[in-house]
Amino acid sequence: MTTTLNRTLNDSSEDKINTEERIKIRDIEIVDVIVMSGSAVSALALSYFFFQILLPVSGVLGFLVCWYVFFNIISTVAVWELRGAVKAKDHLARTFIWTGGMAAVVPLILVLVYVIGKGYHSLRPQFFTQDQKFVGALSDSTEGGGAHAIIGTLQQVGLASLISVPLGITTAVYLNEVNGRLAKPLRIIIDAMSAVPSIVAGLFIYAAWILALGNQQNGLAGSLALAVLFLPTVTRTSEVVLRLVPGGLREASLALGGTEWRTTSRVVLPTARSGLVTAVILGVARVIGETAPLILTVGGAFVMNANPFSGKQDSLPYFVFRLIRFPQEAQVQRAWTGAFVLVILVLVLFIIARAIGGRGPDHISRSKKRRLQRKGLA
Amino acid sequence: MSSDIALLDPGHKAAGLTATNVSCWFGTKKVLEGVNLDMAPGQVTALIGPSGCGKSTFLRTLNRMHELVPSATLAGEILIDGVDIYRGAIPVTDVRRRIGMVFQKPNPFPAMTVAENVVAGLKLSGMKVTRAERDHLIESCLTKAGLWNEVKNRLGDPGRALSGGQQQRLCIARSLAVSPQVLLMDEPCSALDPTSTRRIEQTISEISETVTVVIVTHNMQQAQRVSHRCAFFLAAENEPGRIIEEGATREIFSNPVDPRTNDYVNGRFG
Amino acid sequence: MSENILSEGTPVTSTSDVLTPVVRRSRADQIFRGIATTASVTTFILMGLIGTFLLVKGYDALRVAGWSFLTESAWAPDQGGAFGVAAMLPYTVQIALVALVIAVPVALCTALFITEYAPRKLRRILTAMIDLLAAVPSLIYGLWGLFYLQPRLITLSKWMADHLGWVPFFTVDDQYGTSLGLFPSSTFVAGVVVSLMVIPICTVVMREVFSQAPAGEREGAMALGGTRWGVVRDVVLPFGRGGIIGGSMLGLGRAMGETIAVTLIISPSFDAKWSILDQGSNSIAALIALKFSESSTFGISALMAAGLVLFVITLIVNAAASTVVSKSRSGASTEI
Ligand SMILES: Nc1ncnc2c1ncn2[C@@H]1O[C@H](COP(=O)(O)OP(=O)(O)OP(=O)(O)O)[C@@H](O)[C@H]1O
Ligand SMILES: [Mg+2]
Repeated sequence: MTTTLNRTLNDSSEDKINTEERIKIRDIEIVDVIVMSGSAVSALALSYFFFQILLPVSGVLGFLVCWYVFFNIISTVAVWELRGAVKAKDHLARTFIWTGGMAAVVPLILVLVYVIGKGYHSLRPQFFTQDQKFVGALSDSTEGGGAHAIIGTLQQVGLASLISVPLGITTAVYLNEVNGRLAKPLRIIIDAMSAVPSIVAGLFIYAAWILALGNQQNGLAGSLALAVLFLPTVTRTSEVVLRLVPGGLREASLALGGTEWRTTSRVVLPTARSGLVTAVILGVARVIGETAPLILTVGGAFVMNANPFSGKQDSLPYFVFRLIRFPQEAQVQRAWTGAFVLVILVLVLFIIARAIGGRGPDHISRSKKRRLQRKGLA
Repeated sequence: MSSDIALLDPGHKAAGLTATNVSCWFGTKKVLEGVNLDMAPGQVTALIGPSGCGKSTFLRTLNRMHELVPSATLAGEILIDGVDIYRGAIPVTDVRRRIGMVFQKPNPFPAMTVAENVVAGLKLSGMKVTRAERDHLIESCLTKAGLWNEVKNRLGDPGRALSGGQQQRLCIARSLAVSPQVLLMDEPCSALDPTSTRRIEQTISEISETVTVVIVTHNMQQAQRVSHRCAFFLAAENEPGRIIEEGATREIFSNPVDPRTNDYVNGRFG
Repeated sequence: MSENILSEGTPVTSTSDVLTPVVRRSRADQIFRGIATTASVTTFILMGLIGTFLLVKGYDALRVAGWSFLTESAWAPDQGGAFGVAAMLPYTVQIALVALVIAVPVALCTALFITEYAPRKLRRILTAMIDLLAAVPSLIYGLWGLFYLQPRLITLSKWMADHLGWVPFFTVDDQYGTSLGLFPSSTFVAGVVVSLMVIPICTVVMREVFSQAPAGEREGAMALGGTRWGVVRDVVLPFGRGGIIGGSMLGLGRAMGETIAVTLIISPSFDAKWSILDQGSNSIAALIALKFSESSTFGISALMAAGLVLFVITLIVNAAASTVVSKSRSGASTEI
C-alpha cells in the first residue's frame, strides 16, 4: 500500500509523445535466451523420461515440479560453462526469486477463481432481498437469501468505522502533527494492538461489554469487536500517509502564521486526503471479512434484524462459516454463494481504494470545482 | 505590548529586525555563535557565505522556524521593531505572519488551486476578508510577485501545475498576501532559470519599500544587484559559524575589511 | 546594534544562556491538542483494558487451575475436569512454524523481486497483488484450504511420510501403513493455509526495508561490475537483515493468532505430538472459536484465560518484532 500512497504525493509524470526511437535496454542477452530455451526443452524431455518411466508418481503438478528442477540444473550448468561461476549464481538466484515472486501470486489467483467458480451459479437476485426464514436445510440452494447477513455486515462495519476512523485518524494526527509526550509509548501500544488476534478482540468485547456491562449479543457488540481490530490499522496506515506529507508544507503554513490546528486541517489533511481515504477503505476491506470476533459477539441469526442495537444479528462471514459446516449440500452451496458475495465485496472495495489512491493531492474533484466556482476562486 | 497591528493594514510599515548575540545549537553541536545583525526597515539585507556556515539556521531563528527542529535550541535575542519575538510578547503565529518566509524549493500547497494558494495565509491565520477584498488581494499580490499576467486565466489550476519559477513567485505572492513586515528568503532562486531569477529579483526591489527583506544567496551578482546591506558568514572547521563582516553591500564587495571576505566575494574560496 | 534592549530578568552573561521560546497557543490550538490527546489516551486505555478484562474474567478459571493451566493438556472445565493449554500451545506454535517455513522464503523472494528484479509494470501489479492477498478474508482462505487444497495436499503429506519419515516431524506411526485418510485436518495442512495469510505481512515489511537500502552502495556495487545477485547479497540483504527477522516475527504473531482458517481445517486433538502430517491438531484461537458456544460460565472463564495466554504471547512476539524492524528503519530528516 505504501507505494500507492507514495504515488499520491509524487505523481507528476506526464507521458510525452515521442517519435524518436529509444535505445532498448535489455537485461537479457540473446545467448541467455538460447541457453534458457535450450534448457527448458531438454528439461522437458528429461522430466518426461523420468516421470513416465522411472518414477511411479503422477499428476500435472509433479510433472511441473520435475521440469522446474531439471530446468534449473541444466540451465545453471550451461551458464556456468559459458559465463563462469559468478554469472551462474546470479542466474540461479534470478530464477529462484522470480519463482518465489510468482509463488505468492498463484495461490491468490487460485483462491479467487475457485471461490468465484463455486459461488456464482447459485446466486439469484433474491440473495440480496430475502433472508433464511422460510428456508430449510433441504430447500434448494437458490432459495432464500443472505440479505439479513449483508445488512448485518454493513451495519456492523459501518458502526465500527464510525468509531475507529475518527479515533484512528485523530490518533495518527497526534502521533505525527502534535507529537506530544505520549507519542512514543503510543506507537508501541498501537503496534501491539495491531497484533491482537481477532478472536481475542471478540473475547475482550464479550468479557467487557457483554459479561461485565450486562449487554446482549447484538450488532453493536460485533461492531465494537471490529472496531478494536480496525483502530490500530487505521492509525498505522494514516500515520504512514501523514508522514509522507512533505515537512516543507507544514513549515510553509506555519511561516504564514498558521496555527497548528489550521495547518493540520487546511494543509496536511487535504494534502493527504486521497491516501487517507485509501487507508480507510483498505481497512474496511480487511475487517469486512472478519469472522472470529463475530462468533462471540453478534450471536448469529437466520432472519432479518435491521436493528444493530438490539437482538442477535447475522453477518456475511458468520453466515458462511455456519452454513459451510452443515452436512446438506444445499446449505454448503448457500455458504459458497455468501463467500462469493463477500469476495466480490472485498474486490470492489480494493479496486476503489486503489483508484482513489492513484490520485495525486492536486486532483480537483468535480464537487470541489463547483464549490470553488461558487466562491469565485476558479 | 501586543501585536495589534491592524490586519491587512494597507499602510503597514516595514519593520526592523535586530539580532543580538544569537547562538544556535542542533543537539549539542553549536552551529552559530554570537551573531549580531541589524536589518533596517525597508532595506534588503543579503546573507552570504560558504555552505554549512549557518545562514539558513540564522534565517530560521528570525521567524521562529528554528525551534521546529526537535533538537534545536538557541540563545540571544531577536527584536522586531524593538519587541522581543521569543519571550512571549507576541504570539508565535503572529511573529511568523509578520515575518514571512520563502523557501529554497517552491512549495505551493498541492491540495489548493493557484488562487487558493495566494490567500492560504488568510485562512491559516484566521483572517476574515470579504469576497471583493479577497479578489483584490489575489490580483494585487500576484501582480506584485510578477505573476498575474501569466496566471490570471489559470487561477483554478492546482498550484503545482505551474512551472518551477512560477511556483516560486506564487509562494512569494502567498507570503505577501498576509502583509508581512519582513520577508525572509532562503536561496529563493537556486532552483530557477536566469529569467525567473531576474523576475524575482525585480520583485524583491519592488516590494522592498514596504517590506524588509532578508535574503540568503550563493550568487554574488545577485547579492550585489538586490541588497543594500550584506553580512558575510563563515564557519571554521568544527567551529560554529560567525559573522565575519557586515556593512553596506558596496563596501563589502569593493573594499572589504577582512581578507577572508575579500577572498570569498572574489570567488577565491568556499 | 548599539542599543541592546534587554528584557528584564534575562541577563546576558554568556552566549550559552539557552533561550526557551515561549509558545502561547491560541484557544483553537489548545482545543485541537486536547482532542488529539484525548483520542490517544483512549487508544491507550483500550489496550490496557483488553488485558485487564481477560484477566478479570479468566481469573476464576486460573485460580482453580493454578500453574497446571500451562501443563495440563486436557480441556474439560465444564465437566469439572482438568483443563490447560499444554496441548494447544505446542500445536499453535507448530502451525505457526509450518506457516513461516513456507511464507518466509516466498515473502523474501517476493520482496526482492519487487524491489530488485521486477520490471516496473510488473512491480506495480505485484505490489497490488500482495495488498490483495492481505485483503482477502481468512475465512475465504479457510474454505479454499478445506475444499480445494487439502485433497491435493494430502498426496504430498503421504509422500513425505513415506519417503521422509525419518525426519522426526514427518513420522507417522501406523501399524497398517499410511493411507491418504490419515492426513487431512493436520497441522501441516493448517500451516500451509495460514502461510498464505502470513506472506503479505512479511513481504510488506521486507519490501519496505529493502527499498531503503542505500542507493549509493547499491550503485557502487553495480559500478564495480557486480551482478544483480551480488548487489542483493552484499548490499540489500545485509542492510535488510532487521527487516527480514522483524517481518518474520510479525508473521509469527499473526500466524499464532489466526483463528477461522485453522478452525475450519483442523480436527481438534488434545494430545500434543511431534508429527505434523497426520490428522489432529489444535490451536488456542481455534479452541476458543469451537468451544465458545457450548461452554458454561466457568468454561468461558477458562476460555478467557486461554485467550489471555494467546494475547500475552502475541504481544511479546510483536513487541520484539517491532523493535527489530524499527531499529532497521531510518528516521525522517528535515531538509534545510
Ligand atoms: N536539522 C539539523 N540537525 C543537525 N544539524 C543541522 C541541522 N540543520 C543544519 N545543521 C547543521 O548546521 C550547520 C549550519 O547549517 P545551515 O543549513 O544553516 O547552513 P547554510 O549556511 O544554510 O548552508 P547552505 O548554504 O548549504 O544552505 C551545518 O553544519 C549543518 O550540518
Ligand atoms: Mg541553507
